[in-house]
Amino acid sequence: MIEALGIPTLVIGTAYDIMSKVVPPRAAFVDHPVGRTFGPPHDRERNIAVLAKALTEVAQFTQPGMIRDLGCDWSSDGSRSWEQELRAEMLREH
Amino acid sequence: MAFEYLPIMAQNSAPKPPRVLVKPSKFAWCAVTKPLFQSRVALLTSAALRVESQPPFVPREDLSYRRVPSDPAIGPIVIDHHSGIGAVPKQDPEIVFPRTALAGLLSRGLIGSVSPQHFSFMGGVRQHAKVEKELAPALGHELLDAQVDLALLVPY
Repeated sequence: MIEALGIPTLVIGTAYDIMSKVVPPRAAFVDHPVGRTFGPPHDRERNIAVLAKALTEVAQFTQPGMIRDLGCDWSSDGSRSWEQELRAEMLREH
Repeated sequence: MAFEYLPIMAQNSAPKPPRVLVKPSKFAWCAVTKPLFQSRVALLTSAALRVESQPPFVPREDLSYRRVPSDPAIGPIVIDHHSGIGAVPKQDPEIVFPRTALAGLLSRGLIGSVSPQHFSFMGGVRQHAKVEKELAPALGHELLDAQVDLALLVPY
């Protein structure tokens, strides 16, 4: 709808599986836990780094419906242990 | 491989059926023509957030929206969304609504300007037709009024 009015959009999201189902015009994937798209609390440099990556990626979208991976890892060592914690958090908090 | 959210959402919905994901009835695409360093950028968030002085959102089917001042100096942000993942972002809403980071990128010259207002609404509502026919057009016209060149939507 917003694109139909002449304004380009970019979705910046952590849920690749959801973005691949709803197919936004442009989507940037951030491999962080949901609810922490731009990094851990109070980490302003990381907020800026993720947002800058997303913004500079906009020009790379050459066709509708693309999802581009920004290459952001949550853990500095590439560990994915956060997934177990997030799963427990999401099930516990429900 | 990316973390899979849909199986957990289905588990959380049980015994009700999983939430239905809906695509827009009409797909639209608008090419980016303006360079980033000349572009006015706005944030859209589905976190149902607001500044403290604004009226709260009412979970779960609130279809209203708030104009959130883009100047980070104008008061703290409150998140009204009912999602269970809210404990962390409520400590620091900037991690889902990077208002300060966007202002920082303006000062670094990456973007041309920041919209005077960003926009916030309630994600996860089930009235999909009303979202498409009422909320989305209203937000679109707000963005036009603000002369926004690029809208960044951060799902919550």
